[in-house]
Amino acid sequence: MRTAILGLLLLITLAALYFAARAYLAQVPLGPQQTVVTINPKMGVHTRLTDEAEEWKIKRSLEMVREMGAPWIVEYFPWAYYEPKPGHFEWNHPDTVIAHANRQGLTVVARLGFVPEWARPADTIPLYLDEARYEDFGRYAAAFAARYRGQVSHIILWNEPNLSQEWGFRPVDPESYTQLLRVVYPMVKAANPDVQVLGGALAPTLAPPGSEWGMDDLIYLQRMYDAGAAAYFDTLAIHAYGWSFDADDPPDPEVVNLRRAELVRDVMVRNGDGHKSAMITESGWNDHPRWNRSVSPGRRIENTIRAYELAAGWPWLDAMAMWAFRYPWDAKSYQDHYTFVGTDFEPKPIYWEVQAYAQGKGDPQ
Amino acid sequence: MNVFKKTWQVSENLPGLRLRFIPTIGLLVAVGLLGFWLISRYFSADEDTTWQRIQQTGVWRVGMDPSFPPFELLNGAGEPIGYDVDLALALAERWGVQVQIVAIGFDGLTDALLAGKVDSIASALPYDPRLTADLSYSASYFEAGVRLAVAADAPIQSANDLAGKRLAVEWGSNGDAEARKLQRADPSIQRLTFPGAPEALAALLAGEADAILVDGVTLRQMQGSGSAIRAVGDALESNPYVIALPIGAHVLQGQINSALAEFTTTGFLKNLEERWFSGGAQ
Repeated sequence: MRTAILGLLLLITLAALYFAARAYLAQVPLGPQQTVVTINPKMGVHTRLTDEAEEWKIKRSLEMVREMGAPWIVEYFPWAYYEPKPGHFEWNHPDTVIAHANRQGLTVVARLGFVPEWARPADTIPLYLDEARYEDFGRYAAAFAARYRGQVSHIILWNEPNLSQEWGFRPVDPESYTQLLRVVYPMVKAANPDVQVLGGALAPTLAPPGSEWGMDDLIYLQRMYDAGAAAYFDTLAIHAYGWSFDADDPPDPEVVNLRRAELVRDVMVRNGDGHKSAMITESGWNDHPRWNRSVSPGRRIENTIRAYELAAGWPWLDAMAMWAFRYPWDAKSYQDHYTFVGTDFEPKPIYWEVQAYAQGKGDPQ
Repeated sequence: MNVFKKTWQVSENLPGLRLRFIPTIGLLVAVGLLGFWLISRYFSADEDTTWQRIQQTGVWRVGMDPSFPPFELLNGAGEPIGYDVDLALALAERWGVQVQIVAIGFDGLTDALLAGKVDSIASALPYDPRLTADLSYSASYFEAGVRLAVAADAPIQSANDLAGKRLAVEWGSNGDAEARKLQRADPSIQRLTFPGAPEALAALLAGEADAILVDGVTLRQMQGSGSAIRAVGDALESNPYVIALPIGAHVLQGQINSALAEFTTTGFLKNLEERWFSGGAQ
């Protein structure tokens, strides 16, 4: 009996040692402080690290962003992941992502959204948020802003609220989204006065009036201003995809292209918000051979670099983040053709060409 | 009767013996339950409801995005035609059923299969190992991955023969990505970039490049249009096209795989390629 107990204790000790060693070996050192070397300080990418569990992959992604020459990243920090129970926060993953990003010299723009189950009615999707729960969201956003003071400089409140799907499959409602800003903005600023709060992040869309799927972004933004949104964001987040149009194609209210961003900017100016800056937090071209909004791989490269050049020349724009740097796994759809780096970290040609541009190495190819 | 009585008596006399039977009985019950589970699983696994439905209705519903010539496209009358259509028709003919082509956008095909709206997907669909928990796949019937190609009379026999050679690619393409990898391994390889695959091919045919890297579909289109080029070696990055099926459709999967094997042996697949990549069939 005594031998059995001793054997059991030995087994438990060995198991504990094994798991402790595994945890120790799994740690990834932050490494030395890095800086981004680039000719264009407005270059950015939207990373996709939310579902990236392995720390070395998080670090490698951010290293590659720095090595490409992009000083800005936009990253998603879902509320449901980090406040699974009211008032109970689990910050391990965002701690890891933000620490590595900062160490690589990257400026983090945090996109917040995705409602936990406890904060929404049953049978709703995580993009559904009742007005009665805006304060709950505000508490999460404020806790995030306070925790990462000095580490995260910008926070985006919600994503593409002018699409029904992103609004919990409800009719879109610019006045209600403005109310969200009205509730959450002061909570975030009280928690961290330094942080810049971004509103909008509207999807570029030509949805006709009354569409069940969404609302034209230019109309939606005007209705936000009409509802008094100007006082509740510091910077406007803009989504500006190129689809099948060239980066230099002129802006047109009836067209979704990159320079539609200038029309969004016009709405800001018309509403007395010209003193504020804007940030393009999603942009890019797709080179899928079958998607009807894609371009050839070469045109994708040319347009991406040209878009960065345009961003550098727009005084009202802080940064431009391309969708998307890398996915944790292949989507096996046209979405894979937005990325700069494969899931295996193999750089695509666009990565090398953008890097060459950021290093001032002249014409691509 | 006596035996029973005797046993009972033994048990009464030795109560510990009864307790000793409990693990044995438990084990027997567990083995019995396991056997029942395995047998029921075996018989239920034998049921392929997709195949049964096809046989009962006489219709094989095939999801397809008819926007990717020459694999699938619409003719002047708005009817789907192409390599995959002919392949589906040939398979259905073997089974004595009709094909019902269901036109679905490429990104909606998998969901349509999972929702039971179609029985299969035949739409130049790349194999996706990430989805094998949800879908079954047939064997590959076309390799669309990046291939190295050279002029028909060129001495290059593999990617190992590229030292010092000029490699033409479409700028930014998967071929370009592979060329950069080869170049990293052997900096003597010269990478020539062109706006599109046709320009890269023209450079090869004009002797301005020694080889090209293109995807399998483009390669077959080049060959079909009469360019005297040949593929060298296996795909540098495999991208096999397959037919996707519901996860339990093992009978249908077997039927398709045996047919594809036969189609390869008989030259039917080769004929399909020649028909649809020559441009004449369109």
